[in-house]
Amino acid sequence: MIDTLSYGLIIVGIIFWFWGTLPLIGNRSVLFKLHSLSVSDTLGSMAIVVGLLLKIPNEWSLLVLAIMTLAIWNTVLGYVLAYCSSSNEKIINKK
Amino acid sequence: MGAITILNIVLRLAIWFLLTDDFSLPNIIIGMAIAFLIPLSRKSSSTLKDWLRILWEVIVAVPQAYLEAFEIIFRPHNDEDIIRKKVKVRRNSGLIFLDIFLITFTPKTIVVKYDEEGWYEIHRVKRKIRNKK
Repeated sequence: MIDTLSYGLIIVGIIFWFWGTLPLIGNRSVLFKLHSLSVSDTLGSMAIVVGLLLKIPNEWSLLVLAIMTLAIWNTVLGYVLAYCSSSNEKIINKK
Repeated sequence: MGAITILNIVLRLAIWFLLTDDFSLPNIIIGMAIAFLIPLSRKSSSTLKDWLRILWEVIVAVPQAYLEAFEIIFRPHNDEDIIRKKVKVRRNSGLIFLDIFLITFTPKTIVVKYDEEGWYEIHRVKRKIRNKK
């Protein structure tokens, strides 16, 4: 039962990864790509780590820490990238 | 010692014990020492209630983020726009950080800019509305 759940989560995570990463080669705006990347990098990776957590509960402390850092760093870096990409447009508009 | 200071130290200790996974006495002493030695921000205009509320919102945001992820996977959101949202009153930098974290964490919205005058500029994806022509 737990095995099925954990493999399910890992598979969902991998699907998220591919779904979010493939649009990178399309020609949408940077911000649009960031939205799909937050699905894959943050939520996909978190699903994979939760899947691992169910498989190896002995290592729960490091895995929980990994989930927290994944959530925080991916989100903050997403914000930083969004901020950088938008400030240029603003400067161009002002000129 | 205020309630926010205690919350802060509890968070630091939690991270320390997650990192070391060791509840022996020397490790507890080292963790306590580190938690108290790292400087605390001196002044804070926020209340404990604000902090507890936003920590709760962070927990609620996780299932919501997965829900939004499935929504944009199964029903493509091809339109994008930028909205502005007012920052709540009495926000210090820590709470603003968590506000930005919360908005950016969910896949449909990303904070693009935080305006010192009290606005978040949020980039959002949404479903395309078909023009009836």
